[in-house]
Amino acid sequence: MNEPTEDDVPLFKKWSTWYALVIGFLLLLILLFNFLTKHFS
Amino acid sequence: MSRPDWIVLILTLLGMIAYGLYKSRTSRDMEGYFLNNRQTPWFMVLLGIMGTQASAVTFLSAPGQAYTDGMRFVQYYFGLPLAMVVLCITFVPVFHRLKVFTAYEFLEQRFDLKTRTLTSFLFLLQRGLSTGISISAPSIILSSLLGWDIVWTNIFMGGLLIIYTVTGGAKAVAYTQQLQLIVIFGGMCVAGYMVVHLLPAHIGFSEALHIGGKAGKLNIITTGVSEKGFDWNDRYNMLSGVIGGFFLALSYFGTDQSQVGRYLTARSLSESRLGLLMNGLVKVPMQFLILLLGVLVFAFYQFNREPVFFNQSQIDLLAKSKYGDSLVLVKRAYDVAETQRIKERTFLSAAGGQAVADVGPAEQRLQIAERQKGVYKATIRRWLKDKDVGGDDNDTNYIFLRFVMDFLPRGLIGLLIAVIFLAAWGSIAATLNSLSSCTIVDFHRRFSRKPMTPEKEFRLSRFYTFLWGAFCVAVAQLAYNLGNSLIETVNVLGSLFYGVILGIFLVAFYRKKVGGVAVFTSALIIETGVIVLNVLSRKGIVHLSFLWFNVVGAIGVVVLAELIQVCIKKRP
Repeated sequence: MNEPTEDDVPLFKKWSTWYALVIGFLLLLILLFNFLTKHFS
Repeated sequence: MSRPDWIVLILTLLGMIAYGLYKSRTSRDMEGYFLNNRQTPWFMVLLGIMGTQASAVTFLSAPGQAYTDGMRFVQYYFGLPLAMVVLCITFVPVFHRLKVFTAYEFLEQRFDLKTRTLTSFLFLLQRGLSTGISISAPSIILSSLLGWDIVWTNIFMGGLLIIYTVTGGAKAVAYTQQLQLIVIFGGMCVAGYMVVHLLPAHIGFSEALHIGGKAGKLNIITTGVSEKGFDWNDRYNMLSGVIGGFFLALSYFGTDQSQVGRYLTARSLSESRLGLLMNGLVKVPMQFLILLLGVLVFAFYQFNREPVFFNQSQIDLLAKSKYGDSLVLVKRAYDVAETQRIKERTFLSAAGGQAVADVGPAEQRLQIAERQKGVYKATIRRWLKDKDVGGDDNDTNYIFLRFVMDFLPRGLIGLLIAVIFLAAWGSIAATLNSLSSCTIVDFHRRFSRKPMTPEKEFRLSRFYTFLWGAFCVAVAQLAYNLGNSLIETVNVLGSLFYGVILGIFLVAFYRKKVGGVAVFTSALIIETGVIVLNVLSRKGIVHLSFLWFNVVGAIGVVVLAELIQVCIKKRP
């Protein structure tokens, strides 16, 4: 089994893609929550 | 509790201690004891971070919070994913490069000894006290609901975990947190299924959400803006959640050793980053689901009798007070109103919005019954607030567990009580480990003139872990004796110190020209200012929610340190 090195970025080429994924997912959740708030109010 | 519940509870807790001891074998030095020899994979870092943040009160309080105030509490976590990104870019690479044991070691390298010592001291003070409270709060709830002795409940809540935490250090903490979270999520999922299962036959999951939504419980997104403008005293809205929550999360995950200690155990920088980023992905949905449980419990109580007050021990207190006779009358009238309310609610939901002739009058009768219910509940709260009674008029934390005790089947009650214990243990174990590491690394070893062997450091680390455990259990007992006022005070304690500690770290990372004297002086001044602000806020002179203290503290330290640095340079 290969030991991970300090520079390993899993799945993507850059860490910035991971950061964008986390922020994008948060925005998606906020949009979903906004929809749920309006739909069930 | 029934015998099957006791069996499930005892077996779960003993099993956890045995597992912790089994995983206790570690190298007999500080690197092994505090950092698991930096060998932890990312998913265990993630579970460690989550298990440390989620205390027993998280699982007790959040469903109750949704039941009373709706789901807007989830906004409190919106800043967290953003903070994870900033941490991965700035804080984590520096901590890994310097191979520090504690976050505060870095401050001595960047500034000076006094700044490191002050920051570590603020952490020990705040974290030691608040851990005592995190033992006390669930203990009070369990002892009230189950009639257990508070001293023994405190010892079981905060004491038993000391066995494996002292023995196995960070490794035992990480492995037990992994198992604890599996049991916790399993228990909560079963509870969620049971709530929906216990709803009337014609009410499904979607209808339950509509019931919650109509009552304003699905207020997930709120702006905090009213006709008078933005309400700075409003705790949970988009702005306070994103900005206040961001500063709080940045401070908690970046400068609180109980969290830093989790991702420093990772076997590489990328595993630390991955653990934190995954936390940024899963935390908000997880909190959403816990809150949703509260909305489902709310829907359940629309068709079942809701207690006049969820904390029965306070009703017993009222019964013995001058309001005893009046209480009997109010409870009788409340029962009549509840019977009427449930009858009308069941009829209306069965009618399903169809144009049945009786719907109009039934809706009117429902409104009257709900109004009466509200009046009786308010009366009980008013009596509890009376100085002669000295009761606690807030029963939010009791809602979920009361539902569990009254309606869930045997065995499952024991499992959900075990969930409360395990949630407390996961959080407290990590904290004891971090309190011990700061005590020995930032104080004992730093100020000791005699060099110590690794074996002696290891034994001392165990000793300090035990000592902090005993201290926290003692604080928990003290908190119970002093009553609720202390619990409220210590809940705000984190926000009083976190902002300033974060400000020190922000200067360290982003303001390279600012030195130790400037940051130390500004930290002392701003800390005093934040404490004064809290006093003014409690007296109602300033209207500012405690979440904003983090922002004030952090920005205050950065700006003032910069100004002081300019003055120092200008001085001849």
